[in-house]
Amino acid sequence: MPEGILCNKKTIDTKEQLDAILADASGNQYYEEMNHLDIDKVALWTTIRKTFKSRFKTWLEICAHCGLCAESCYYYLANNRDPKQVPSYKIKTTLGELIRRKGDVSNAFMQMCMDTAFAKCSCCTRCGVYCPFGIDMGIMFSYLRGLLFSQGFTPWEMKIGSGMHRIYRAQMDVTTEDWVETCEWMEEEWEDDYPGLKIPIDKENADIMYTLNAREPKHYPQDIAEAAVLFHLAGENWTAPSEGWEATSLTMFAGDWPACKMQVENVYAAMKRLKPKRVVGTECGHAYRATVIEGPYWAGIKTGQPPVENLHYVEWVAEVLRTGKLKIDPAKKIKEPVTFQDSCNYVRNAGLADIPREIMSYIAEDFREMKPNREHNFCCGGGGGLNGIGRYREERNIGFKVKRDQILATGAKLVVSPCHNCWDAIRDMEEIYHMGIKWTFLKPLLIDMVEVPEHLKPKEE
Amino acid sequence: MATAEFMGKTFTVDEDGFIDAYENFCPEWVQWVKTQEGIEEITEEHERVVTVLQEYYEKNGIAPMVRILSKVTGFKLKHIYELFPSGPGKGACKMAGLPKPTGCV
Repeated sequence: MPEGILCNKKTIDTKEQLDAILADASGNQYYEEMNHLDIDKVALWTTIRKTFKSRFKTWLEICAHCGLCAESCYYYLANNRDPKQVPSYKIKTTLGELIRRKGDVSNAFMQMCMDTAFAKCSCCTRCGVYCPFGIDMGIMFSYLRGLLFSQGFTPWEMKIGSGMHRIYRAQMDVTTEDWVETCEWMEEEWEDDYPGLKIPIDKENADIMYTLNAREPKHYPQDIAEAAVLFHLAGENWTAPSEGWEATSLTMFAGDWPACKMQVENVYAAMKRLKPKRVVGTECGHAYRATVIEGPYWAGIKTGQPPVENLHYVEWVAEVLRTGKLKIDPAKKIKEPVTFQDSCNYVRNAGLADIPREIMSYIAEDFREMKPNREHNFCCGGGGGLNGIGRYREERNIGFKVKRDQILATGAKLVVSPCHNCWDAIRDMEEIYHMGIKWTFLKPLLIDMVEVPEHLKPKEE
Repeated sequence: MATAEFMGKTFTVDEDGFIDAYENFCPEWVQWVKTQEGIEEITEEHERVVTVLQEYYEKNGIAPMVRILSKVTGFKLKHIYELFPSGPGKGACKMAGLPKPTGCV
C-alpha cells in the first residue's frame, strides 16, 4: 500500500513532520505522491458505517433532482450555469457514489472528490436555504472532506493547517510565549496614543474573555492592539487567555475530526479556567462556527452550547454602540457609499443578520445593501479554506465574479467585512479585478470614529 | 505555474506571485517585487527586512512572526507597513523569496 513520505494517511503530530511538509513549496512532491496513494477501502467503509447517519442518508435519498439548488450556488452562476456545478449533481457524484460503491473507489475518484469538495463548494450552505427539503450540500461536503482526510486526500495547505493545530493548538506556529510577548509588544507600541492601555492576560472572572485568529499574532498584530484599544475606550473588564486564545479551526476545513475536538476543547478549557462572564471572538466567521456552532458537538457537550456565552465581535460592537459605551463622533461617520459583506458563518448559519445593520445605522450615512443580502447573501468566494489553497486558485477567482458583481452593483467604494476570510477574499478580488474599492474590518474604522473620553486622552507635553 | 520576465531574468511564480523556490532568489527578484508592490525605492531598511526574513527562514523553514521581525530589525510595526504596504506576511515575504505563508493570511 504505497504511502507517500508527505502525502499519506498519517496525521502531522511532530515538528519534524511539519518541517518536512513545509519544505515542499507549493506541495509539488505532496501532490505527486497523492497520485500513487492507495485507498484503504475496508477502513473507509468502516468509517462510513460508523459516521454516515440518518440525516445524510435521508438527504441523499430524498433529493428529487428538482434543480432548485442550482441558482443558489455561486459556482453554478459564475461558471455559465454549467450543469456539473449544480449542488445536487456535485454531491450525488461524489459522496452519493462513494456510499453506493460502499467505499470501493479508486485514487482518481478520491482526487475528483477532493477537487469537488474544496474547489466546487466552499461549504457556504446557501443551497440548504433554497432546497425544498432543506438538504444542505455544504454540510455534506464538510463530511466528505472528513472521509477524504482519513484517506490522505486533502489539499497540501489543509494538511499543514491540521498539523499546526495538532502541534501548536493554533493554525500557525504561534507558541504561548510568542502570543504573550506579542501582546506586550502591542501594549508598548500603542500606549503613547492610549495611556494605560493593557492587554490583561489570564485574568479570572473578567466580564469578557477575548479569543482570536492566529493570523493576528503571526502576521497582523495591529488587530490585537485595535481590539485592546476599543475594549479600553469602552471601559471593559476584559482578558485574553495565555492558552486557548486561538478560536479558528483549519482542522474543520481539512476534515480532521479528532483535531477539531482537540482544538475546540483547548478554547473551552480557557473558558473554564478563567470563568469569564462572556466570551467575545474576533472578526472571524469560521472561528465563530468552530467555537459556537460546531464545537459543542465535537466536544460532546449535550446542551449544544459552549461552556460560556459567546458573542461574535459584531454583537459586542452593536452592544457598546447601542449602550453608549463607545460613542461615534457624528462628524466622522462614513459619508461615502458603503456596503457590508455578510459572512456565511455567522449570518446565514447563526442568524446574526440584524446586528450588522444596526452597526451600519450608527456609523454610516449612505449604507447600501448588496442584493441579495442577509441570509441570502453569497459567499465571498474564498470560504471553506479556499483562500488558502493554491491548487484551486483559478476556480476561486472565477467564483469571485458573483461577489464582485454584487459589490459593484451597490456603487459603494468601501466594503465593511468583519470576517478575516471575507476580508482576504475581497482584497484578492480587488487585486485581480481592479474594482476600485477598499475593504475594512470594523476595528480600524471604529478607532477612527469613536470619541475618546477626556481621561483616556494622552496628556499634552 | 506562471512566469514573469524582468531585467533579463525569467522567474517562475506561484498562483499568488511568490517565487517558486527560495534558491531562485536574486537581486533582480527584489526589483521585480518592488514594481509589483508599488514600492518607490529599495532602501537599506527594505534590505534589512529581507535579510532578517531570509536568515530566519534558512534556520526555521518558515516565515517569522512579525514580533520577531520587529525585534531583530528594531523597526516598529507601523514602520514595517510603511516599508511594505501590503504587510510583512505578503509583500515582505514575497520580496525575500520566501514561500507564501500558509493558513488564513
